[in-house]
This record gives sequence, structure tokens and C-alpha cells, in this order.
Amino acid sequence: MRVLSAWHQYAFVIRQLTARELKRKYARSSLGILWSILNPLLSMAVLSLIFLNMFRRSIENYPIYYLTGYLIWQTFTLATTSAMTALPDNKPLLLKVRFPMDIFLLARVYTAGVNLVYSLIAYAVMLIVFGISFKWTMLLAPVYLFLLFCFSLGMSYLLAVACVFFGDVRHLYTVLLTLWMYCSALFYPVSQLSAFMQTVVRLNPIYAYISSLRGAVLDGTLPSGLVWLQMMCFGILTLLLGRTVFKFYRKKIVEFL
Amino acid sequence: MPSAKRPEILLQNVTMRFRRTKDTPTSLKEWMVSLLNPKLRKRAESFLALDSISFCIDPGEIVGIIGTNGSGKSTLLKIISGVLPPSSGVVFADRKKIELLTLGTGFDLELTGRENVYLNGALIGFTKRGLDRKYDSIVSFAELSGFMDEKVRNYSSGMVSRLAFSIATSKSTPRILILDEVLSVGDRFFREKSERRIREMIQSGSTVLIVSHSTQVIRSLCTRVLWIERGKLRADGDPDTVCRAYETMGKV
Repeated sequence: MRVLSAWHQYAFVIRQLTARELKRKYARSSLGILWSILNPLLSMAVLSLIFLNMFRRSIENYPIYYLTGYLIWQTFTLATTSAMTALPDNKPLLLKVRFPMDIFLLARVYTAGVNLVYSLIAYAVMLIVFGISFKWTMLLAPVYLFLLFCFSLGMSYLLAVACVFFGDVRHLYTVLLTLWMYCSALFYPVSQLSAFMQTVVRLNPIYAYISSLRGAVLDGTLPSGLVWLQMMCFGILTLLLGRTVFKFYRKKIVEFL
Repeated sequence: MPSAKRPEILLQNVTMRFRRTKDTPTSLKEWMVSLLNPKLRKRAESFLALDSISFCIDPGEIVGIIGTNGSGKSTLLKIISGVLPPSSGVVFADRKKIELLTLGTGFDLELTGRENVYLNGALIGFTKRGLDRKYDSIVSFAELSGFMDEKVRNYSSGMVSRLAFSIATSKSTPRILILDEVLSVGDRFFREKSERRIREMIQSGSTVLIVSHSTQVIRSLCTRVLWIERGKLRADGDPDTVCRAYETMGKV
């Protein structure tokens, strides 16, 4: 009972912290929170114009092909880069409240999740505009996104710990992200690559989520057993590893901050 | 005087050591350099925030803690309330009964007064239902009705602290109450009102710890005073004696 009420309280705190992040982001604009939907909608419209007219490729429904990858990539980078600095950003709070420290990390990743929901609304509009028909495989999207959430959270734990001890991790990570993005086949078909690079891309955890969602939305296909295994392993194992590392360094983090 | 009651809070040789940030590698480059070349490895120099503090507080005592800035008072409170684990030493206290009262935890200037009540309330341990129930009384005590949908950015500093005080003191009184510089807030009239509320809390809660710079407040409220100076317990005794010793040190 006590544990249950504690979790109830944590959930309340996470919701409040998330609300703060979302409200702050557009605090000085006149449309306010409406930007949460407008922003992804406009950027998706612009991106689909670009990918419809400037980079025509042999891929069918190229804008949607790109937007699907973009959606996942954006969510992952937003979650990890914001959660990475959650501890130093909330330092004054951390030393005052008695919650487990990961609340602040969770709130940042959860914020990225809420942003994803807004982006999904924009994405749905784009699907209608481009005449993508409904496929029952689309119903599996929440499963893929949940596993992506686990993976992002796990990575956030690892990055947050690294960032406390070595402040320059955040700069290194942005460089790494650029490399990572080009290896995620966001705007090109994998078949175009050399055999070696194809293996690299297929081993990339993010690509597993991207290709599964693309299959579900564009072709109505399910991921292969291997990709399923990849998604689950990357999601669950990274989360477990991240939590373990974070717990191990917990005491040291407090001293360091 | 030996007491038959079990102590409410017991500290034995509590020491808190902070590593100085300048002495530890803060970038990967420095860390790698230090791995390759042990000579360059800087010796870890530490800063002793608390040096072997021991004391015991019985139920019902109202204890004031005084000391100059940076002497370790806040660190001590964090250790007692369980936010910070001590480097060494033992703390006996039932953490579930302790409430550390601080003002404006997590206040955000870009949010409205109402939003801040919920954010701050959540952080200091209110439940959603509890806040919904207490909301009106929080606003009326802070005398801010009509301003709650305004951003806190536009508040005066007095208004901010009134709101913070009102939220912090609206929780039900715990068994052990710790007050960290929560008195002397707002204008004269609000200060009187807030001191009255603190007195009520003191009377209904059983054990209270008060940190304050004002020896006047300490003298009028406490039954015992601890003086912490540079991490050491300098004096422990009745309010008059300890406060006088503290005041004379300030004059030298």
C-alpha cells in the first residue's frame, strides 16, 4: 500500500515536471501550447515538400518514408539529449527533495514521449494527405514506440551518469548523433549501400524501430523474427543496464553534483 | 540528564566530505591524460563540510541551529532528512516522519501562480487530491487571489515568498518538522502572520528543528540551541547562553 502510494506520488511529480517543460517551451509565444502540434505539423509539411520536389528517389511515398524515420529519430534524440543534462539542470532541486533522482530523468524522457504524441497527430494528417490507406499492422505501432521508449530511457540513464562525471560527454554525443543519423537510413534506401554498410545499418538499434514502423505504415508488413528480437533486446537490455549503472553510481553522483 | 524516552534523532560522528570539483577530472580528456600519466593525477583534495558531529534530540524538543554562512547548517539538515547520505557516521531518525520545509522548491518564473502551486506542491510531497482541497486556503493565506493566473515572473519578490510560505506550511504537521530559513518572509504584517502559523505548527508537531540567522527568532521559539561553526559543533545548550556566545563572536 505504501509502495503504491509512493508510485502514485512519483507519477504526479513526473506529470507536473512534464507540464512545466511543455509550458516553458512556448511560454513567450502568443499561441502557447498550441505550438506543440503546430510545430511538428509545419516542419513535416516543409519536409515533405522538400522530399517530394527536391530529392526525388525511386522510393514510393518518399515523404512518408522520410517522415517515419524522422519521427523516431527526433523522439530518440530529444529524449536522450534532454535527459542527459537532467541531473545538472535540476541540481538545486535534487538536493532538496527526497524522491529518487531518476524522477528528473524520467520526466524528460516522458516529455519527449508526450511530444511524440503531438507529432503523431501531425503524422496522421500527413498520412491522410498522401493517401496512405489504413493497414491493420499500424495497430502495432504503439508496441514499437514503447520499445523505443525503453531504449531511449536506458540510453538516457547511461548518458546522464557519464555526463555528471565528464561534462564534455554532451558535446561528444552531438557529434556521435550526426554519425548515428547518417547510419540510420533516414532518407535513403538501405539497398543502395555497400554490403558492409548494410550490415552496419542493420545492426543499428534505431534502424530496427524505423524499419518496423515503415513496414507497418507503408507496406503492411511485420518485422522479421530477428528484428523483433533486436527491438526487444535493445529496448529491455539497455534499460536494465542503464538502471543498474545508475543505481551503482547513485551515491557518487550526489557528491559530484 | 538521562532521559527515559527514546531519542527522536540521534547523530553519531557524522562526517560529510565533499570533493572539490577543481581537483577531479571533469572532462574525458583530463581523465585519459591522468590514466596515462599517473604523475599528472591530481591528489583528491576534499572539503570537510561536517566534522564528526554527534548529538541527540528527544521528542518534544524545539532545537535552533545557528552558525555563519557556509558553516554546514544546510548540509546537516539534508543529512538528517535523508536527502544526502553522510560520508561516515550514523544517523538514527525515522525518515518517514520528517518533513523538511523549504521555500519555493522548483518555482518557475515562466509559469502562472496556480501552476506553481501544483508543481511546487508535488515536489514537496502533496498529493493531487490534497492540493485540490487546500488550494483555496493556500491562495487566501498568501493574499494572492486575483493574481493566480498571472505568471510568477510578474510578481514582486514579496509575493513570491508569500506564496512559497503558504504552500510549504499548508501540509499537515509531521512528527518531526525541520524549518530552513522560512521565517522573516514578506512585509511586517505577513511576518507576524507567518510567525503565528509557525507557532501553531510547533505546538501541534512534537519535535522541531529551526535554522535561522535571527537569534531573536531562535530565542523566542527554541528550548535548546546548537551552534555549528566550520563543520564543527561549537556549542550545545540553552538558547540564551549559546546565542550570547554567538553574538559576541560576531562582534570580534
